Amino acid sequence: MRRSLAVLTTAALAAGLLAGCSPSDNPPTQDNSSAPPPVTATITVWADATRTPIITAMAAQFTADTGVAVDVVQRDFGSMRDDFISQAPTGQGPDVLIGAADWTGKFVQNGVTVPVELKAADFSPVAIEAVTYDGKIYGLPYALENLALFRNPALAPETPATMDAAIAAGQAAVAAGSAKYPFLLQTPREGGDPYHVYPIQTSFGAPVFGSTANGYDSSDLAMCGPEGQAFAAYLAKLGSEGVLATTMTADITKEAFVNGESPFIITGPWNTADFQAAIPDVAIEAVPSAGGQTASPFVSVQAFFISAKSANQIAANQFVVNYLGSKQAQLDLFKAGGRPPALTAAAEDPAVTGDPAMAGFAAVAEQGVAMPNIPAMDAVWGDWGNTESALIDNQGDPAQLWDAACASIKEKIATS
Amino acid sequence: MAVAAPSALAPAVPPPVRPAAGSALAVLGRAGRASWRYAVALAALVFALFPILFVVSASFNPLGTLTSSNSLFSRVSIGNYGDLLTDPTHPYGHWFANSMFIGAVTAVGTVFLGACAAYAFSRFRFRGRRGGLLTLILLQMFPQTLAYVAIFLLLTTLKNVFPILGLDSQVGLVMVYLGGALGVNTFLMYGFFNTVPQSLDESAKIDGASHGQIFFTIILRLVAPILAVVALLSFIGTLNDFVIASVVLTTPDKQTLAVGLYQYISQSFSERWGVFASGAVLAALPVVAIFMGLQKYIVSGLTAGSVKG
Amino acid sequence: MPQVVIAAEPASGEPSSRLRRDSHSTLWTKGFVAKLVLLAMADALGLYGVIAAWAVRSWPILAVLIPALLAVNIVYFSRRLTPAKYLVPGLVFLLVYQVFVILYTGYAAFTNYGDGHNSTKADAVEAILAQSAIRVEGSPALDLAVLRDGDDYFFLVPDGAGGALIGSDGEALKAAPGARLEAGRPVGLDGYDTLSLGDIIAQTAVITAMAVPCSDDPNDGVLKTPDGAVAYAYIPTLLYDEAAGQLTSQADGAVYADSGEGNFISPDGTVLQPGWKTPIGFRNFTSIITEPSLRGPFLGVLAWTFVYAIGTVVLAFAVGLSLALVLNHPSVKFRRLLRSLLILPYAFPAFLSAMVWQGMLNPQFGFVNQVLLGGRWVDWLGEAWLARATVLVVNVWMAFPYMFLICTGAIQSLPAEVEEAARVDGAGWLRTFWNIKLPLLLVSTAPLLISSFSMNFNNFNSIYLLTGGGPLAQPTDKAGATDILISFVYRLAFGGVNRQYGLACAISMLIFIIVAGISALGFKRTKVLEEMN
Repeated sequence: MRRSLAVLTTAALAAGLLAGCSPSDNPPTQDNSSAPPPVTATITVWADATRTPIITAMAAQFTADTGVAVDVVQRDFGSMRDDFISQAPTGQGPDVLIGAADWTGKFVQNGVTVPVELKAADFSPVAIEAVTYDGKIYGLPYALENLALFRNPALAPETPATMDAAIAAGQAAVAAGSAKYPFLLQTPREGGDPYHVYPIQTSFGAPVFGSTANGYDSSDLAMCGPEGQAFAAYLAKLGSEGVLATTMTADITKEAFVNGESPFIITGPWNTADFQAAIPDVAIEAVPSAGGQTASPFVSVQAFFISAKSANQIAANQFVVNYLGSKQAQLDLFKAGGRPPALTAAAEDPAVTGDPAMAGFAAVAEQGVAMPNIPAMDAVWGDWGNTESALIDNQGDPAQLWDAACASIKEKIATS
Repeated sequence: MAVAAPSALAPAVPPPVRPAAGSALAVLGRAGRASWRYAVALAALVFALFPILFVVSASFNPLGTLTSSNSLFSRVSIGNYGDLLTDPTHPYGHWFANSMFIGAVTAVGTVFLGACAAYAFSRFRFRGRRGGLLTLILLQMFPQTLAYVAIFLLLTTLKNVFPILGLDSQVGLVMVYLGGALGVNTFLMYGFFNTVPQSLDESAKIDGASHGQIFFTIILRLVAPILAVVALLSFIGTLNDFVIASVVLTTPDKQTLAVGLYQYISQSFSERWGVFASGAVLAALPVVAIFMGLQKYIVSGLTAGSVKG
Repeated sequence: MPQVVIAAEPASGEPSSRLRRDSHSTLWTKGFVAKLVLLAMADALGLYGVIAAWAVRSWPILAVLIPALLAVNIVYFSRRLTPAKYLVPGLVFLLVYQVFVILYTGYAAFTNYGDGHNSTKADAVEAILAQSAIRVEGSPALDLAVLRDGDDYFFLVPDGAGGALIGSDGEALKAAPGARLEAGRPVGLDGYDTLSLGDIIAQTAVITAMAVPCSDDPNDGVLKTPDGAVAYAYIPTLLYDEAAGQLTSQADGAVYADSGEGNFISPDGTVLQPGWKTPIGFRNFTSIITEPSLRGPFLGVLAWTFVYAIGTVVLAFAVGLSLALVLNHPSVKFRRLLRSLLILPYAFPAFLSAMVWQGMLNPQFGFVNQVLLGGRWVDWLGEAWLARATVLVVNVWMAFPYMFLICTGAIQSLPAEVEEAARVDGAGWLRTFWNIKLPLLLVSTAPLLISSFSMNFNNFNSIYLLTGGGPLAQPTDKAGATDILISFVYRLAFGGVNRQYGLACAISMLIFIIVAGISALGFKRTKVLEEMN
């Protein structure tokens, strides 16, 4: 595997990987001797704990091929975005950063990352959309992550056609005494969890932002309006029926599903292993529609960014675009991370399509939407989540609560 | 589960004391006059420990959820501890050693710097003495929530000149902690120093001892209890800090327990509660051990001096 | 009294008798030599620092280091200044690490530092230019060889017809007869050296800065390379005029001028991102006063902050003192074990404790309701007053072991004759405690209580992790029932589209002034400091 990677990488370097040139077998910018080139530069990469080992392993090959040493620094994912923004200008930040594509807007707004040249057609469209800001591509996407519906076939043998059908099946299971909860969805009260509820919201035709050709439009808060109000009313209805509750936190819903206490849960690939261990035939399916339209979850895309303050732009580009953008590298990242690759050629590889869970998530990702990467998204989460909690707790007229959230979010965006 | 509640409460309010009941009741029975003291102690222990039982229970739960399991110890396995000690990306052994090292060095440094300052305030009369002591305490009231940016900037600047004081250096982190050595600790020591009679200094001075000799060979020995107290407080404070430590230390092998453990749970969809809990349990053990060892100093040490003024 | 006297007496005889025996001049010499060695080491380190700082042109460090070095030498070689000899070591650390943080925060409070204003103007210009360059429509990615002739660098690219073109920075592409190509990829040209990847990486700064015009017509764009292997044609949409310090749009000629507030702005009000960090005077402070979302809930939040901070200290002190009194009796066995168990809440990281409590207080599934209350529904963190009470209880849980430690020590040092005198007077236990013991205890613990008050006044993490400031009366409210000042204002500074670091610093300074002022008053009142003179 390592060997094939080396061959492929050399070829990729030689070909420049990019448009319009015929591949050649001889690297033109290096002599053809087989001895590895001496180390000429070092690039620093920030990665989180999950990805550090795999990046380190892959970097060894890159170093052997190019003579560029890669220093992988393990960082806490939760604080990486803000640390990078504050540290990059001092010149102390990394050359390359692995992060979430929805950080793109913040990075561009702060001038800490540079555009990269990718062949967009080679990647999943939602992945490209996620790293595109103001019409330019700022990162190399490598994996997709999204929610799906997990179904316990012992409790609900049929794939539900709609959310209402799922809830009815769940309620039947509860009535029959085989389950405790008709449907599991984590909606903790403090701050809510709009990310997990989002597929229901989009099925009412109420995405957060409207889009233009250049991506999401912060001035168009599309979640406001009659579609959003209908969603709000539906959420309040589920709350009053006891299907959703603000007492349901992430670990409570997870444990309930593992214990076979509910036929359904909406969650992400991070729980796949535990679920499959407890329920070997667990099914991974699209979230059923509640409001008639497609229930689109957010697709969060993982990506590599290059620091604007990197003194090693060329080496960093070689590593990110030419090396990590290769099919083999994306497959290696897939094996380590368990998320469908962003590069289409890798995503269609049997190693990915042969994994039923991956195939399930990848199929749901097809109908997903990119997580907004505009800075204005930061102003949305708080009011949005708190309002959803208030809706589930039936703390007022749904339409009024929803409109108040919209007004508050609009004001925050306007005064920024 | 609702049925379990009354029985859980029952032992706490037993109408007649039966000697044959659980060991706590037996103690109550035997202790006679002091029994109400044991009742208070028992109540305090329940209040203090039942959240901690949760952590311990979660640390043995292979499923690794922290908050959802009300049947404590329903699943018991030491798998989390095994994972904790073998995960190469989360080098717990290193964190533990680092925390002990950083905590110990900081504690020693804090005690030394604080004792020197307390000696000056206690034994010498100089201008600005009162205001100085007050200023030391007031400076520590600055909200630390935003300090991370300034600390980062400071250490990157220092790194150019003194690489060992820069980012990702444990020595650098100890230095940052020593910046807080003077403060309320100084006050604590100052009070205690005042209880050591001045006549001791006078007689030593008549014997020709310098102020340095008086300080190092006489006073420091007499105030050993307060030194132990400040050392413990500093050690615990250092052990529990993750705000500053996470800014300074970036390489996993160099990080401390608090930083490393926080990373287990900081990711929004973490599934590592069990491992995290086991790490926290192990981390608490040295604190308790040190406290038990130092207790006789501490019981006689804290604020003993201030009373005498 | 007994405590200290017992400790002091045996020791008091011993050292002085030893002093008398020893030759005191040798001791003096030892001490002096030790001092000399330490000072020499400090001076060597300091001198190294001065030289190193000079070498890297680090003026701020020089500006601090030289006076510090002088001061240290004066203090330790002077025969006077004795107290300073003991204060200087701690003060050095204090000044470098604590005072600097305060000064920096104070400086940042007068800037627009935050999202979109993150670095220098030069960085902003660079980022704007990089973002504004657009690929020439339909232009291909060109395989590239980087050539060198002396100190000059050249791009060699295929011309699409089997030949190659050569150009350099600012010098348009022209035919390169005789260029060698392999499979359509240019590899070299006589008279020039072809750079290896290693060479290219070594010259990253030069090569990434190169802009090779595709032709004499600027509309054809310039070739740039991100990776040294492929070149792309770009057209800059903005040009920077260094002398005027402004950017001009190539499309419509619009001028983006320095607004004076850290942005380039066009006459029609369009702002370019990013801006840069720059001083903005008192604007952060005035915006605190004028910000309507801050003014509304401010007084309520401030009042609760005081209740929370004072309540935590008083309650934790009461619990800790009670336990210390109860467990201080000789009749209690296992005192050491009991004390050790009671400090356990202090031994666990606070962020873990807050999360555990939050889970236990879940109204439907939490341990408290399910097991302790038999399944009753009590919404501990969901109703305003109950949530405030709950937050206090949890905070007391985290804080009481500290108070317990302090009080245990303080009680032991109470003069025994106080109790005896009271007993002779026939005063009851309660009266003795309330009128005599408690005031004595308060005098000795007051400084610790005041500093504990200031810690809780800014106890951001405990509120943030437990309730996030909630519950909110309305989901869009700016402040929740348990919001303390610092959690409330930080949400304002960081919770919108942009994280406003400068504003947060200004707020920090104000909170510091409030807390320090109150505490200074508190110290005056407690007379602790009065006893010093």
